Amino acid sequence: MKVTIKNWVGVATWRWVANDDNCGICRMPFDGCCPDCKLPGDDCPLVWGQCSHCFHMHCIVKWLQSQQVNQQCPMCRQEWKFNNK
Amino acid sequence: MSTPARRRLMRDFKRLQEDPPTGVSGAPTDNNIMIWNAVIFGPHDTPFEDGTFKLTIEFTEEYPNKPPTVRFVSHMFHPNVYADGGICLDILQNRWSPTYDVSAILTSIQSLLSDPNPNSPANSMAAQLYKENRREYEKRVKACVEQSFID
Ligand SMILES: [Zn+2]
Ligand SMILES: [Zn+2]
Ligand SMILES: [Zn+2]
Repeated sequence: MKVTIKNWVGVATWRWVANDDNCGICRMPFDGCCPDCKLPGDDCPLVWGQCSHCFHMHCIVKWLQSQQVNQQCPMCRQEWKFNNK
Repeated sequence: MSTPARRRLMRDFKRLQEDPPTGVSGAPTDNNIMIWNAVIFGPHDTPFEDGTFKLTIEFTEEYPNKPPTVRFVSHMFHPNVYADGGICLDILQNRWSPTYDVSAILTSIQSLLSDPNPNSPANSMAAQLYKENRREYEKRVKACVEQSFID
């Protein structure tokens, strides 16, 4: 059997690439804390993935916990792995 | 009461006002920031041109970890819009990312109007006409555009 693709429609999605001053998930500045915390600093740390994207730890953990199957980086959709430098 | 979802929605609203994307607009309803009204203007050079299509967006406290429910209130004739106004769009389902905001959602729906995906039809009649009888498709869409002035 031979399959010919007659028509292929791609749908592009547009996305704001958050600059490095804000967390892409909660949109709060990195020098502040995530919306669950009161004080920035050691209690609300930033974490990096191996893909080099950065989020508040609380924000990325909440996202990963809400995902049943794939644990993906919200920015690049690569598998999320904490980068423990 | 301020929750993470509500604070995120306040930031979404601020960004929508400060940096409004062309052809879409949206704002929370007066007494509930979890429910928004939005309008998408039909993109130029498509049969949707000149239409003003109204939508509602309903968020849960799990936002932005879960996508909101988006629905057209205006009557639509589009391959990926269900009869009840629900929208079949991957980023509102399994391709959702918590980095999206209201601006990104509305802009994606706007581009869906320009580029329907007839291979995952929510309205099989619209999908079939889009593929096989473009003239009739455009006629039906134009009727929606006219209807959208009255709604
Ligand atoms: Zn954050
Ligand atoms: Zn925190
Ligand atoms: Zn990444």
